[in-house]
Amino acid sequence: MPDALILLSSIALPFLGAIVAGLLPTHARNAAAWLAGAIALSMLAFVWAAYPTVADGGVVRHAIPWMPALGLDFSLRMDGFAWLFAGLVSGVGALVVLYARYYMSAEDPVPRFFAFLLAFMGAMTGVVLSGNLVQLAFFWELTSLFSFLLIGYWHHTAAAREGARMALTVTATGGLCLFAGVLVLGHIVGSYDLDVVLASGERIRSHALYLPALILILLGALTKSAQFPFHFWLPQAMAAPTPVSAYLHSATLVKAGVFLMARLWPVMAGTEAWFWIVGTAGVATLLLGAYVAIFQLDLKGLLAYSTISHLGLITLLLGLNSELAMVAAIFHILNHATFKASLFMAVGIIDHETGTRDIRRLSGLNRSMPFTARLALVAAAAMAGVPLLNGFLSKEMFFAEALSAQTSQLFLLQILPLAATAASAFSVAYSLRFIHGAFFGPDPTDLPRTPHEPPAWMRFPVEILVLACIIVGILPAATVGPFLDMAAHAALGAATPDYSLAVWHGFSLPLLMSFIALTAGVALYIGLQKQLRSAPDGPPMLRSFDGRRMFERAMVFLSWRLARTLERLLGTRRLQPQLRLLVCVAILAGAIAVQVRGLGPGNVMPSGIDPVLALVWVGGAACAFGAAWLAKFHRLAALILLGGTGLVTCVTFVWFSAPDLALTQLLVEVVTTILLLLGLRWLPKRIDNPATRQAEVVTLTRRLRDLTIAISAGAGMAGLAYGVMTRSPPELLAQHFLARAYTEGGGTNVVNVILVDFRGFDTLGEITVLAAVALVAYALLRRFRPAPDSVEIPEQQRDQSAYDEARPDRSEGDTVADWLLVPSVLTRLLFPVIILVAAYLLLRGHDQPGGGFVAGLTASIAIILQYMIGGTHWVEDRLRVPPLRWMGVGLLLAAGTGLAAWFFGRPFMTSYFSYLGLPLLGEVPTASALVFDIGVFALVVGATVLILIALAHQSVRGQRAVPRSSEGRAAATRVAGDD
Amino acid sequence: MQPLLASPLLIPLATAAMTALLWSRPVAQRVASVAGAAALSIATILLLLEVAGGPPLVGRMGNWPAPFGIVLVVDTFSAIMLAIAGLKALAVAVYILGSGRASRDRRGLHPLFHGLLFGVCGAFATGDLFNLYVWFEVMLIASFGLLVLDGTRDQVEGGIKYVALNLIGTSFFLIAVGLLYGLTGTLNLADLARTVPTVGNQGAVAAIGLLILVAFGAKAAVFPLFSWLPAAYHTASMPVAAIFAALLTKVGVYAIIRVFTLVFGYDTGFFGPMLTVVAMATMVTGVLGAAAHYDVRRILSFHIISQIGYMLVGVALMTPLALAGSILYIVHHIVVKANLFLIAGAIKREGGSFALGRLGGLWAAKPLLGLMFLIPALSLAGLPPLSGFWGKLAVIRAGLEAEAWLLAGVALIVGLLTLFSMVKIWNEAFWKPQPNPHPVIPLGRMARFGTYAPIAVLCVLTMTIGLWTEPFAALSVAAAEGLLDHDAYIAAVLGPVQAATLTETTP
Repeated sequence: MPDALILLSSIALPFLGAIVAGLLPTHARNAAAWLAGAIALSMLAFVWAAYPTVADGGVVRHAIPWMPALGLDFSLRMDGFAWLFAGLVSGVGALVVLYARYYMSAEDPVPRFFAFLLAFMGAMTGVVLSGNLVQLAFFWELTSLFSFLLIGYWHHTAAAREGARMALTVTATGGLCLFAGVLVLGHIVGSYDLDVVLASGERIRSHALYLPALILILLGALTKSAQFPFHFWLPQAMAAPTPVSAYLHSATLVKAGVFLMARLWPVMAGTEAWFWIVGTAGVATLLLGAYVAIFQLDLKGLLAYSTISHLGLITLLLGLNSELAMVAAIFHILNHATFKASLFMAVGIIDHETGTRDIRRLSGLNRSMPFTARLALVAAAAMAGVPLLNGFLSKEMFFAEALSAQTSQLFLLQILPLAATAASAFSVAYSLRFIHGAFFGPDPTDLPRTPHEPPAWMRFPVEILVLACIIVGILPAATVGPFLDMAAHAALGAATPDYSLAVWHGFSLPLLMSFIALTAGVALYIGLQKQLRSAPDGPPMLRSFDGRRMFERAMVFLSWRLARTLERLLGTRRLQPQLRLLVCVAILAGAIAVQVRGLGPGNVMPSGIDPVLALVWVGGAACAFGAAWLAKFHRLAALILLGGTGLVTCVTFVWFSAPDLALTQLLVEVVTTILLLLGLRWLPKRIDNPATRQAEVVTLTRRLRDLTIAISAGAGMAGLAYGVMTRSPPELLAQHFLARAYTEGGGTNVVNVILVDFRGFDTLGEITVLAAVALVAYALLRRFRPAPDSVEIPEQQRDQSAYDEARPDRSEGDTVADWLLVPSVLTRLLFPVIILVAAYLLLRGHDQPGGGFVAGLTASIAIILQYMIGGTHWVEDRLRVPPLRWMGVGLLLAAGTGLAAWFFGRPFMTSYFSYLGLPLLGEVPTASALVFDIGVFALVVGATVLILIALAHQSVRGQRAVPRSSEGRAAATRVAGDD
Repeated sequence: MQPLLASPLLIPLATAAMTALLWSRPVAQRVASVAGAAALSIATILLLLEVAGGPPLVGRMGNWPAPFGIVLVVDTFSAIMLAIAGLKALAVAVYILGSGRASRDRRGLHPLFHGLLFGVCGAFATGDLFNLYVWFEVMLIASFGLLVLDGTRDQVEGGIKYVALNLIGTSFFLIAVGLLYGLTGTLNLADLARTVPTVGNQGAVAAIGLLILVAFGAKAAVFPLFSWLPAAYHTASMPVAAIFAALLTKVGVYAIIRVFTLVFGYDTGFFGPMLTVVAMATMVTGVLGAAAHYDVRRILSFHIISQIGYMLVGVALMTPLALAGSILYIVHHIVVKANLFLIAGAIKREGGSFALGRLGGLWAAKPLLGLMFLIPALSLAGLPPLSGFWGKLAVIRAGLEAEAWLLAGVALIVGLLTLFSMVKIWNEAFWKPQPNPHPVIPLGRMARFGTYAPIAVLCVLTMTIGLWTEPFAALSVAAAEGLLDHDAYIAAVLGPVQAATLTETTP
């Protein structure tokens, strides 16, 4: 069979199956199980098809270009070692699928379960078959993800949700570290390809970045394999359905970590750092897991800690830096997978048939389910390392390695065999407790269900696995020998040592250790009987030392306390502190720049100060200062003073011969002041109430601080501007504009030509801003309800209405009309004149001060006048300016002028000008820019009128409005952000 | 070629004007809006195909040669940003179809939405610093309008903060532009890139640069200037929040990347460390802020801040790989984050709330919604096979290769915390049993289409970027190379005749 087919099918099949299973109806349990089983079996078949190649020491490879930009191929690679794991994944997978078919309740959405299981299978296959390290990390994270979904399958229980989250957080974090480690490793080697990496051991070990890479990769491997101190997620993950535990937490997921360590063993092991990190983690996990397992009350918890301990054993073997230990590790990976998967399944059967896993409630099940009891007994014996079972063989090898470990630290050589024996004794004790507690003793009382044997097919996977334990245990060399040999050669290459797989090696020290461990284990169990019967869950002495709780505390600290504290310190919800922060950051930025770079001296002497202009500016500054001073309680005065400042700006423009700007500024001042005055009416009243004031000292301090900030910001800005202005000015664009305005722009008013031509594009943007402002003002004011204290109708208006009402011959509003008769006649007469002025300003704009913007403002003033004198109703009955249409048309006109250039084959917004002879007016300079200006004009008029309408309707509505609640006022005060 | 270059600006402008003219006819507005967004996304994709990998495309507005007139410059980076903005515009325009509230149509939702797009596209396309300021203003006011569209008290309160802080930030920008003009006599970015390094007063240049950084940083919501974002985003309606999340802060990021590679890129020694610190602090504070909240919208808002940090890594390290990583990350983030906001809207409609405490049982009730949440959520956390994995890979790898260990480490840990808070949403809203069952109003066909079609398409896109990363990675690399190749940019904009024109016009 071609390599590509084997490899791609092994990866793709489970993922495709997952999608199909996910699409099945929610309760199609059988269909999903058949599908999953078929896929697992065909994967097994594909893997088997590769055996002839890998058995000869060959490697099955296939690569597809994936991301050449990042130098990555999607590369699959199966050697003997990967073959063994791929077989494990698909073989145990098939058994688990069969088991799960009977285990899962028909009420659960089982197809979803099988979809996740298949996807996990695919991800796990991806990990073992990856031919490059980034891809390995990629699939590694996928296994975390799908295990999360599997653990949380029964998500209605909080334990499942929390367990899933913890498992994901720990393993995915490890995955990220691994990922970083892989990147560093790739950086060292210059390639992520596994073949290249495996060939550069010397380079890796001698590189300066070896240690960071090692630590990061080991963080990934140790978290995944639940090694101390990251072991705590595994017991929590027992909230998963038992098939998941049997598959993920015995044979596959947790083996990914040791797989990775074994895979990189030839290039990363052999150093002191490796020995210390891996060895220490291994030995600590081995002892801790075995010890804690004895005291578990939940059968699955016991198996979980036993798994942790056995993984510790494998890790320790890998950490010993010896080839023989490596072989033993591979062998134990296989053995552990078989006996632990069968034990998990047995526990699942117990749980399924009795309804509980609590060791205190279970007993004497030997009588109601004798066959299952025998299967569990054999598997547990294998776990305890009883001779003639597979667990014994790898444990013997482990003892031998513990005795012959090579290290510079001599005291370790004495500790290691002791630790090995002790852990082994513990494992005998918990195996005994498992068997004795569940199957022996008196008949069980008060079980949720009456126990009986499970369906035959549910027991079948257990039978297969237990059979494997026995056969391998009796005839190791004939059965597992060739496979182990193949895997060891693939992993170690030429360095593979000679070893012998036999049950009997004669009387030796390891055998003695086995014997001691067995005896001590039995003795320990008997000795602990009394304590175990009454003890609560968890081991004595270590109960308070709980990794899970520490992890949770850390997470709570990070995600709650620290976050809250930070939010309290930084995330104020009030506006003033945020503004203060922004300004302070800007000051700091300027200070840093000047500190680091220094502000270079200017090369131009500043010219003398004109006393008149200086005086005007002093006036302007005083106005600004006064406005700020009064803004809080005397808004009208502040607004008037603000107008004064605006006038000074206007004068300044005139002073520096910019009549256009001055004209615009003047009109803008007029219009905005009127609009603001109209709006002022609706603001809530602010009364200077001494009672609500803060203590004098606090206020003073705050003001001083704000003053300091203000002065520093102002001084900084002035200094910067001074620094810029005292350098000889570079060749400015201005000269260019002056030179070309008439010759190429067709206008003598340079400002206007800049606005509508040179930088007409900016103007297009700015008029959009204006249109948006009008829309926003309109949208906001439509829903605005004024504060109750400003709803009240002014006294004058009340008096007038009362007067009208009191006389039968007068209708309401007559007094106002009389009152304003003269002004209204005048303004109505003035209207056409102002409009004419606007038209004049618009037309002459290109050559003289004026232009669309100014003209638009002028026309708006005409309309505003009518509003003010004639009243809202009168004007709107006669208004022929639908503001939205004017704005829309104006915008389209402006853009359309630009667009028209395309029809002449010119770039967007290219202008055209000539002179047009008009009747009466004579020769009129026309540039296409004029059309643009008309667009601007229309938009400005439309926008101003829209804002005006919005404000005016406020008073129309305001008269009707009855104060409903104090909500509006509260909101307004809050928005103002009272400091 | 010219029409294609200007179309990303003209289409939204025309659509905004059209929808304003159709003010009182909501259905016609919606049709015009979707049509405009579709046209925009087609035009931007065509533009991307045209520009990708090649020299920048330059359009001289009004046919005035640079640096005298305004130029539009679309290089690969700009084209990517434009294309992704077009895509988002279309997704959100369709989503609005499903979001019921017709009253928003009458308050200017569509004109403001397209006005915002006009500003965003303008900012991505312009080659002129002052013009960039104009687009900032367009965006600011349009987004303010969108934010306070419903006129609720929360919205107005958030909106005032948003507009006040951003106005100050934008003023800093304007001041800096003025000062820079005073130093160099030009506003054109390419011309600035040529002249700024030669300015005698480098202290002033550094100060101006930092002032610009403060202004853009406030826009991009970086540490410590991000407070406007969590104050405002969660009050907006979901389609608006989605477009904000996708584009607003990204314009700030774009501006930082553009200006600090092209104009201030010569001085990495000064700006680099500062940007690195800012990037790290932004990542951390954002993700911690998210952890403290139990409202889907607030969590998502804080994550925006956190991820802005990743996007700044490129410009902080200024290596091709880091920049490519940042660009890939931006693309991924825009797709994913806007989608999460859309999904938050769907969660609200199906589950009745944004508060995690009141949500639950959605995985059993709406498995498809669950799947569609998981994809962007896990992508955000950087899990494979989703888009976020590659973005993070590139960023972290760049950090490692530049030996910025702390930066790479922080990026990793922030990824973990992101995962933690995404799983928090998942556990609470989807897995946990529904705490107080309530009648769910089934969505109409139009509402279902409008709500789920954009979400599904964006999910597929996330998966596509995750599994078939090559074209996206290649584009990002090309864009990064373009960003670092200042000479090509300057030559494309100013052209070889530029020197001659200068002497000729100087009086």
